[in-house]
Amino acid sequence: MQEERLDLLNLREFDEEAYKKESEELLEMRMLTAETATFARTEGGFLSLKVGDKEYKRVRVYLTFPLTNPEEYISIREATEKAKEIGMVESLSVLPANQQEMLREQIRLRYFMPEIRKVMELKEEYGYAYWYVETTYGVCRFTTHMSNDAVVTLGESRLLVTDIDGNRYEIPDFYALTVQERKRLDLFL
Amino acid sequence: MKLPESFYEAVKEYQIGPGDILAGAVADFDREYRFADTVVALTRDKLLIAAYPYREKQEYKLGGYGGIAPDMTLAGKPALAIYPLEKVESLKVLRQIGTGVLMGEIEGTERFLCQFSNTKQGYFHKLEEILRKVKAGEDIQEKDLDVEHNRKACPKCGMLYPDQERQICPKCMDKRSILLRVMSYFKPYKLQLALMVLCYLGTVALNLAWPYLSGTALYDKVLSKDEDFVAFLGLPAGSFLAALTMLVIAMIVAKGIGQLFGILQGVMTAKVAPRVVGTIKSQVFDSMGRLSISFFTKRQTGGLMTRVCDDAGEISNFFIDGIPYFFINSLTLVVTVIIMFALNPLLALSSVILMPLLVVMSYRMLPHLWHFYGKRHRANRRLNSQVNENLTGARVVKAFGREEQEIRRFGRNNGKVRDSEMDLARYDNRFYALYYSVEDTVSFLVWAVGGAIMISGFSRSAGETISLGMLLTFSGYVGQMKGPLEFMSRIVRWYTNCMNSAQRIFEIIDATPEIREAKDPYRPGALKGEIELKNVTFGYEPHKPILKEISFHVNSGEVFGIVGRSGSGKSTLVNLISRLYDPEEGEVLVDGINVKQYGFRELRRNVAMVSQETYIFMGTVAENIAYARPDATRKEILSAAIQASAHDFICKMPEGYDTMLGSSGRSLSGGEKQRISIARAILADPKILILDEATSAVDTETELAIQQSLERLEKGRTVISIAHRLSTLRNAKRLIVLDEGRITESGTHEELMEKKGTYYKLNELQTKALAMRGLE
Repeated sequence: MQEERLDLLNLREFDEEAYKKESEELLEMRMLTAETATFARTEGGFLSLKVGDKEYKRVRVYLTFPLTNPEEYISIREATEKAKEIGMVESLSVLPANQQEMLREQIRLRYFMPEIRKVMELKEEYGYAYWYVETTYGVCRFTTHMSNDAVVTLGESRLLVTDIDGNRYEIPDFYALTVQERKRLDLFL
Repeated sequence: MKLPESFYEAVKEYQIGPGDILAGAVADFDREYRFADTVVALTRDKLLIAAYPYREKQEYKLGGYGGIAPDMTLAGKPALAIYPLEKVESLKVLRQIGTGVLMGEIEGTERFLCQFSNTKQGYFHKLEEILRKVKAGEDIQEKDLDVEHNRKACPKCGMLYPDQERQICPKCMDKRSILLRVMSYFKPYKLQLALMVLCYLGTVALNLAWPYLSGTALYDKVLSKDEDFVAFLGLPAGSFLAALTMLVIAMIVAKGIGQLFGILQGVMTAKVAPRVVGTIKSQVFDSMGRLSISFFTKRQTGGLMTRVCDDAGEISNFFIDGIPYFFINSLTLVVTVIIMFALNPLLALSSVILMPLLVVMSYRMLPHLWHFYGKRHRANRRLNSQVNENLTGARVVKAFGREEQEIRRFGRNNGKVRDSEMDLARYDNRFYALYYSVEDTVSFLVWAVGGAIMISGFSRSAGETISLGMLLTFSGYVGQMKGPLEFMSRIVRWYTNCMNSAQRIFEIIDATPEIREAKDPYRPGALKGEIELKNVTFGYEPHKPILKEISFHVNSGEVFGIVGRSGSGKSTLVNLISRLYDPEEGEVLVDGINVKQYGFRELRRNVAMVSQETYIFMGTVAENIAYARPDATRKEILSAAIQASAHDFICKMPEGYDTMLGSSGRSLSGGEKQRISIARAILADPKILILDEATSAVDTETELAIQQSLERLEKGRTVISIAHRLSTLRNAKRLIVLDEGRITESGTHEELMEKKGTYYKLNELQTKALAMRGLE
């Protein structure tokens, strides 16, 4: 065993340069600007990206601060399983208007989250809470667990609700709800 | 699979009947993110997509309301798209955060087909799979179409149990049965309970007699020198002093008996309550022990237990104090009112006329008060957790010089506590001021009406004047009604709280473990230690596989290495061997037998794990080492500790092997904990040993020492060893490399080096790093 080990110190076959380059790339912050990158809508309704002479057929758009800063530092990633980062867009405003719109569309797709405007009914039964609410997208019913992580408080008064299937809803301002509604939500707070 | 009628109607004109449809799913959003339905269905040769227009004011059902309702009324005619399957290469579900997108590769173009909520995700995953099977020419079986794969539904209403660990349908749950069930905990204490009821009844009787004794009897009979009363007492005429003495004695006796009842009831409560609470708690803990790991990972375990403990107390309190007092108070109220009306209807009327107002007031205002209490509680909790954070993180705060900021943050949180405290006090004052003024009004009303009657000498009831004693008696009764009334306004909330507590407790007691021991388990005497995984796919959440189609075989007595970057599923993989989880697909075999067939005891006694998460229980060092074998002798413990290189540091501690560890005891460093857990595994003497980064927290020198002891330990056992440092794996005969949940490489060290893949790269990097250091 020990002798084989020594053998491995023979490094001729190991491309150190390539490795160094790879790891440096990993540590670098690459910014995409209107000059270096062009986004386009694909025929199938997705988003493609051209950076220099490299073309990505389909890319994913991740927000780095989805809850507090949805317009800046947007991470563009490959559509593969590993979702390797291609680069970041420092701010949507650096891109041409039509491309901004394309990115916003992708962001909406990924971070879709109805806002709850009204809590008509909230019933707790045997470890589950049954919600009947009005959202920005319509009236809906859903179920959440009764644990604390079903409703998470963000900052002072913002609430994030996750139902048992992983659908997410937002209550932008708890104190903007009526006293009755807040009373119903008391269950979770 | 049932799809909406209107969809079948729409596809009829294309000569597609319901029988042609293999599978289908309904998406619930349109591209404007509004709730609108899109039906996607597969036939043998076509992909059908029917997009229904969006309708307003439709009520949508998301989380927990999964499934396709066949009677779903879809308005309007759908826009239908039909793709022949030879043009569709694949379907793919692209997971978003809160939604999913169905993408189709159609004639080389990736197309956005529809999007849906996470509730529908499972159906589309099935669709994806079925298309793959159709394309590959594989048979489609019943189980492929079954989205509710292995999930059980409520027999009454057909709804899927939201939590498979707890097969109780929240909708069909009978609330009354909870009450009855809780009552059953009190059954063994019938005698004590009967005594308690007796005490309560006695108290009620005394309470009712008291105003009469201190009012009418004292003032009207004795002080106003009523001869009839003296005669009634059997005393010679005119001996009012004797009557007074008797009355006073009677009053003292009444008070004394009242006290006695109180004491007796207290004693009974002290006897029954802790026992009931104890029974409930131990049942909960028993049940928690039975449950599989996933139950705990889904919930916050720490909070769970404290909550359960509080809940048990809450239930017992309600049943000991709440229910009896409810009856006593109702009885007191009713009887008081009856007596009052019997004594003087007009006065009675003036005393009860405002009572409904009190009830309404407390019913309406108390919830607000609770709201303020809740707010204060939250503010306090935030403040406490900050203080806690600052105490435990004091080093970081100081190191970064953020004291000022933390002080300001404390100031802010403290301010919130102050504000909420003030809000509460303000509302509290308002509520009680109002409440008591109504109460006082009632008293004044009684005095005013009574006084007026006395002065005018008029009373409707019997045409006689009201006496002072009667007035005092009434005022006593009015005072006595306050308590029960207040109680009544609280009882509803108390009851719901108690039922919720009971629910939470039964939730745990009734939970059926996801992983159950086989009915007739295989109990072998000794294991050979051969391990095989066949096409194992597993994920903690549905549709998010962590391990994908893993297959490998480990011979008995072999050392097997698993390499892979963090998050590649290494630890998850070994959890399947000791059956902490069951694979979604495929099987795990030990000695050629599925682990599901083994008895838990046999399997787990033969599989020991030293993991990166070390856990030290409250107890001495020796007890911790002998955790798996409490009957081990001192010599065995010492020998295990020596083999794990733990002996030295243990000896250096003042109390040696008797040192108390755990919450209040001495705290150990990461490396020390790890060595204790290695000693624990050595002592357990398992046939299969799993080393999951067993030496990651110790320094290189100690690692070498432990490595040696592990090598000795490895003899005659099957060892699965997981490590970042390849040097840890030098004894491994064969290795696999995991990446993103798949085996990407496997073979002996030499074979893997030859492949020049990930393993080669890792190896080069690590030896290189060592070599570079050597040069400096």
